[in-house]
Amino acid sequence: MTHTRPRRRIRLTPYLFLLPALLWYLIFLGYPMFYSFIISLTDWDGLSRGSNWVGLSNYTSAIFQDQVTILALRNNLIWTAGTLVIPTTLGLLFAVALDQKLPARTLLRSIFYSPAVLPLVAVGLIWAWMYNPQFGFINEVLKAVGLGRFARGWLSMFETALPATFLTAIWTGVGFSMTVYLAALQGIPREQYEAARMDGATGPRLFWNITLPWLREAHVIVLSLAVINSFKVFDLIYTMTYGGPGRSTQVMGTWMYFNAFQYYHAGYGSAIAWIIAIITLVVAIPYVRRMSRD
Amino acid sequence: MTESLLLPKRNATVATRLRRSWPTLLIWIGLIFLAALWLIPFIIILLTSLRSMNDLISNGVFAWPQRFLPENFAKAWSIGNFSVYFRNSLILILTKVPLGILIAALAAYPLAKMRFRFNNAIFVIFLIGLAIPVQVTLMPLLVMMKQLGIAGTLPALIPPYVVFGLPFQIFVMRGFFRTLPNELIEAARLDGCSEFTVFWRIMLPLSGPALVTLFIIDALGTWNELLIALVLINSEAWLTVPVGLLRFQGQWASRYTELMAGVVISIAPILFIYIFLQRYLVSGLTAGALKE
Repeated sequence: MTHTRPRRRIRLTPYLFLLPALLWYLIFLGYPMFYSFIISLTDWDGLSRGSNWVGLSNYTSAIFQDQVTILALRNNLIWTAGTLVIPTTLGLLFAVALDQKLPARTLLRSIFYSPAVLPLVAVGLIWAWMYNPQFGFINEVLKAVGLGRFARGWLSMFETALPATFLTAIWTGVGFSMTVYLAALQGIPREQYEAARMDGATGPRLFWNITLPWLREAHVIVLSLAVINSFKVFDLIYTMTYGGPGRSTQVMGTWMYFNAFQYYHAGYGSAIAWIIAIITLVVAIPYVRRMSRD
Repeated sequence: MTESLLLPKRNATVATRLRRSWPTLLIWIGLIFLAALWLIPFIIILLTSLRSMNDLISNGVFAWPQRFLPENFAKAWSIGNFSVYFRNSLILILTKVPLGILIAALAAYPLAKMRFRFNNAIFVIFLIGLAIPVQVTLMPLLVMMKQLGIAGTLPALIPPYVVFGLPFQIFVMRGFFRTLPNELIEAARLDGCSEFTVFWRIMLPLSGPALVTLFIIDALGTWNELLIALVLINSEAWLTVPVGLLRFQGQWASRYTELMAGVVISIAPILFIYIFLQRYLVSGLTAGALKE
């Protein structure tokens, strides 16, 4: 911790350096957030000049009345629960496996990470094609192995649309947690394992007693981001199901978009946006604390 | 270089170790199987994009194409208007990314190297930006851009794209600057350099690796962004790649072969960058998640 001692002439200087970023932040993030909160207290349609003050009624109707918002919130929660468990665990397992000296491990890491760099629109279109009811890969495989009766329009049926979309999210999501865990694994001192082995600990015990606790920091990152990103989900739903069939796969992110920009309920849409923001900001507290610690 | 010299020997030890430990071999086979599974979507879109529609319908998606049809790509490129989307996304990358990184680096310098009252508070405020959903700014941004008269055009994307890139970039640059020795700064100050000269002539030139990493990550993010562009851009002439791809899909939904050619076109530059520059990419992503 060797900070340079402040000098007299430095007093104003830090703020001059910070000025562009702070101004940009204030004008294009702070102000729009404030403005959108004000909009959320009105019944503005997004186009006309006038609007009426409605207090918190957009929020109360979102949470207590509008069945679609409640469904969207539920879908986000399901998505969050799934993301907290599946891609994270898979990522951890991949990382532990690929932390060993295995042939082609660099190539394997690259393959598992590769979907994460693609535009989610492309990912959505790729998987919409995989799920295609007539010619899609998944139904073709099912028919080829004699399970043709399970072939269906995966994205157009109520029971399967959300799980099918989520499977796509797993495909793109595993790489990130794997990469974070791999980096964290490299930070575990080898002596820890050697000492434990001397005490007679073996495979699973080593994993539970040394690896997992040493990854605590990585868990905070991976799990907080899993929740934050689950509430921000938009692209995959928008490209793969468009919120359908019916409105069964709407999530808060898409439902906000449809309300604000397609149904001309700017006030209501802004309230939904703020509900998302409140959730992600609360979840971000441990994450930000972790990142800002020296 | 030493890596490649050591490779044969290391492989030999790996082979002997594999022979000794069956569990490891099983894990490895499992990983190979999973990797093959992971690659299926890539293989499928390639196979689809390289054949004719008739071939696809009569022989099924995983049959080898009867005849390779690279024309699908030419067709998708021209009908899909991809040259316009590529141009727009490239213009964005070349303007937005350097601008954002410069602003972030400027802010990161005092946060890393100076002591002042609100240092940590300001840093935390920037970090909070990582958790703010785009949706909570969209409607006001549209209004603001309309007032500025640039709604619907490419420049409207620059302010929000910069702002949503700042938190991560400030975080990474601050972390990197902190690793640079204070003595350098002290010496330059004693020579009478202004703080800006220290930043511009010493800190930035030493930050090559961090800047390259941030450039690549941000270029990918810009190429991939959908939601903001969907709201702020409406004219065909200013569409970026993701929105353009969606529009192409809207028109060609059942021409699967050309549609997948369009998908391949839109991800080709990304995969190219990923394959050749992934070292920078991965190091930056982990730098963002974990600190050394």
